[in-house]
Amino acid sequence: MQERRKFKKRFCKYCEAKIDLIDYKDIAQLKFSLSERFKIMPRRLTGNCKHHQEMVTIAIKRARQTALIPYIVDRKNVVESPLDMIK
Amino acid sequence: MNCYETLFVVKPTLTEEEIASQITKVKDVLTKEGAELVATQDMGMRKLAYPVEKNNRGYYTVLYFKAAGAVIQELERNLRNNEDIIKFLTVKYTKQREVAQFDKLAAAANRGVSQSAKVEEAAKVQEEAKEA
Repeated sequence: MQERRKFKKRFCKYCEAKIDLIDYKDIAQLKFSLSERFKIMPRRLTGNCKHHQEMVTIAIKRARQTALIPYIVDRKNVVESPLDMIK
Repeated sequence: MNCYETLFVVKPTLTEEEIASQITKVKDVLTKEGAELVATQDMGMRKLAYPVEKNNRGYYTVLYFKAAGAVIQELERNLRNNEDIIKFLTVKYTKQREVAQFDKLAAAANRGVSQSAKVEEAAKVQEEAKEA
């Protein structure tokens, strides 16, 4: 008997859109690969291919350096909806 | 000549004129060093994701330019010594695909400028029409 796939097959969103470069200033695009605590989402959850995941990580780290997105969201400064904070 | 993009954040405590003068200062450094400024993107006053030097906001500007590698050293030295600039980041576009994207981004930035200019022009025309 053929083994059935347990999860839905995931596609690399960036491959389908044929994106060559991920701009670190475009936060709306980066949000897809960020958790609600602004951690970088793993490849197994987003379905990104390795090539694009590498570009995403670089873009996210650059955005962090320039204070466009936070490094951490901790309990000291609680915000109700952290994703609305950056716009 | 390489393609570069520099983002820098000016302190929010300055007045508008002072911010504008800071931006022209950075541009002057580039022109003095013989760099070719392709486009400027004004991201405006934004809230910072975390406080930087006790500032909660900052004025973001992005410069797209083509220059020799040695220019970056001089530019970053100027940015670092300037106390009114709290953050800066320079990105180099090397691969062919990246350079193509660089052109696109620069064109988009230019279009943004021209659009706002057009809006202003339209407003002026309307005002003139009203006066007439």
